[in-house]
Amino acid sequence: MLRFALRRLAGGALLLVIVSMVIFVLLRVLPGDPVLMRLGASTSAGTEEAVNQLRQELGLDAPLPIQYLDWMRGVLTGDLGVSYVSQFPVSTLIGQRIPATLQLAAAAIVLALVIAVPVALLGARWPGTIYDRLTSGGVTVAMAIPQFWLGLLLVSVFAVQLDWLPARGYVAFTEQPVEHLRLLLLPAVTLGVTLAAPIARFLRSSLADVSGNLYMRTAEGKGLMWGQAIVRHGLPNALMTTLTFVGLLAGQLLGGVVLVEYVFGWPGLGSLTVDAIAGRDYGILQGVILLLSAGFLVINLLIDLAYGLLNPRIRVGAS
Amino acid sequence: MSERSEPGLVPSPGDPGVPGGPASGGRAKRAGRGWRALAGDARIGALLLIVIVGAAVAAPLISPFPPNQIHQDAIFSGPTWPYLLGTDELGRDLLSRLLYGARLSLIVAGGAVLLAMVLGTVWGLAAGLFGRWVDAVLMRLVDGLLAIPQFLLALLLVAALGSSVPLLIVIIGLLNAPVVARLARSALLDEMSKDYAVAVAGTGARPIRLVWREFLPNVAPPLMVQAALVGAYAILTEAGLSFLGLGVEPPRASLGSLLLQGYQNLYNSQLYAVWPGLVIVAVVWSLNVLGDRLQEVFDPRGRR
Repeated sequence: MLRFALRRLAGGALLLVIVSMVIFVLLRVLPGDPVLMRLGASTSAGTEEAVNQLRQELGLDAPLPIQYLDWMRGVLTGDLGVSYVSQFPVSTLIGQRIPATLQLAAAAIVLALVIAVPVALLGARWPGTIYDRLTSGGVTVAMAIPQFWLGLLLVSVFAVQLDWLPARGYVAFTEQPVEHLRLLLLPAVTLGVTLAAPIARFLRSSLADVSGNLYMRTAEGKGLMWGQAIVRHGLPNALMTTLTFVGLLAGQLLGGVVLVEYVFGWPGLGSLTVDAIAGRDYGILQGVILLLSAGFLVINLLIDLAYGLLNPRIRVGAS
Repeated sequence: MSERSEPGLVPSPGDPGVPGGPASGGRAKRAGRGWRALAGDARIGALLLIVIVGAAVAAPLISPFPPNQIHQDAIFSGPTWPYLLGTDELGRDLLSRLLYGARLSLIVAGGAVLLAMVLGTVWGLAAGLFGRWVDAVLMRLVDGLLAIPQFLLALLLVAALGSSVPLLIVIIGLLNAPVVARLARSALLDEMSKDYAVAVAGTGARPIRLVWREFLPNVAPPLMVQAALVGAYAILTEAGLSFLGLGVEPPRASLGSLLLQGYQNLYNSQLYAVWPGLVIVAVVWSLNVLGDRLQEVFDPRGRR
């Protein structure tokens, strides 16, 4: 297990280095001079000196490899640089936004599982029935729905027409708990429903795989009801493979989160990104993209390790 | 694993030596077999795609009004004659804008798919053929690019480079090339280990000729499946970017920019934002089911 874990960790670390290099090179190659951005449009003539001075202060006159190493040294000590526009440290800005995003994501994942697990279980219980066909058909349609469009529809129905819920905004839970939850409901449902679709689909097919296994037959043979057998033996196995799949989906989901946060004015990393894009604030973008990519890699690495821990066949096969 | 009836008898067109492979039979016969190979939902998907693409291509002919023509007497009109889907905040006909919008979005997606497939295939084949350090460098680059959330990269590139239609095509195409590269490389390595490849290589054929004549036809099926998925993803990316105001910019209509305007006018007209979303769902759904079905037809054994 140790060898397996070390191999995966080394692979993950290498990938992180590659990702950081790609991001670094991209942000240096793309047009948009951070120094000019920072000094603003007011600097016209006669300030070449100021530009050069700032360039030197920011270390932007050094050769690229040195700049990269400087940046990485900062990243490793928790310093993601500063916003080119507001001059605030990027780590602070990200820190302020992370809780809202995590909360939304957690609510969405819980909701997605609450929807997807029963849907998939019932389909696997009675394969080929009308119910199974309708849900799997519904799932393929749900998978084609752009998340932000679903958000729009929900706002249109529940906020504009019925006026049951607020359309957008955010208040802290500590200030107005009820209002906070009312504001959370629509974005969480938007993300939860769209996330439930691929999970249900994958879970349904891994349940079908699992059902053919001998241990399931044994479980039923020793007198367990189908429901007991599937919940005790089938579901844990099927959920494990599904988890790997969800980890791989995480990157795509992040794109959806950005848009959903924008639709609902939810002050998380997504809105931070959109604001940074609008202001061409590469300082923030560099930090956010690095952080989210790292998060994506770490999530998949953890899932991988957990999978290896729970399923010895994987680590034997890999080494 | 699946309880659905196994087609089983559908020959994989790539398999050399399968009787009735692509070489035999007229074109019409082949098309007929292709149609029969499609399951119910994939047929609906194929029809939907044909209708939508057809309408988009024919937009200048069939659209009731020019897409930007303003009708001041009919602002936010509901779906009534002559405005079948209603009008927007300037009294522009929504059906006409939807037709032109779908046209532009499909142009962007189509161009992006083409670029992603060509670039990705060359990338993957180069890695697979040259091997050694070229392979290592090219594939680590793929890994790195795929680890960055794609939509964020798209946002970054569009913000930095701009969002004219050709740029959108290039950016979305570039972002989808790595996944194609990975697929092309593994398909190539798969093929190279087969007996026929060893035999052909033994005849002394040059690698380029080998790739062009022998491998490409055989790695085409998985690539076609990927093309459908890339197409779906490209439609969604364009919509997302334009919705944030970073893609196609109003007054020009695309599916995404129409959604943005619908969002901004949500309190005046609830239907506005519904239509473009429906078209997106229809296109993405069709491409997904077609991709799924193609996968099964091409590789009945590899089904999960």
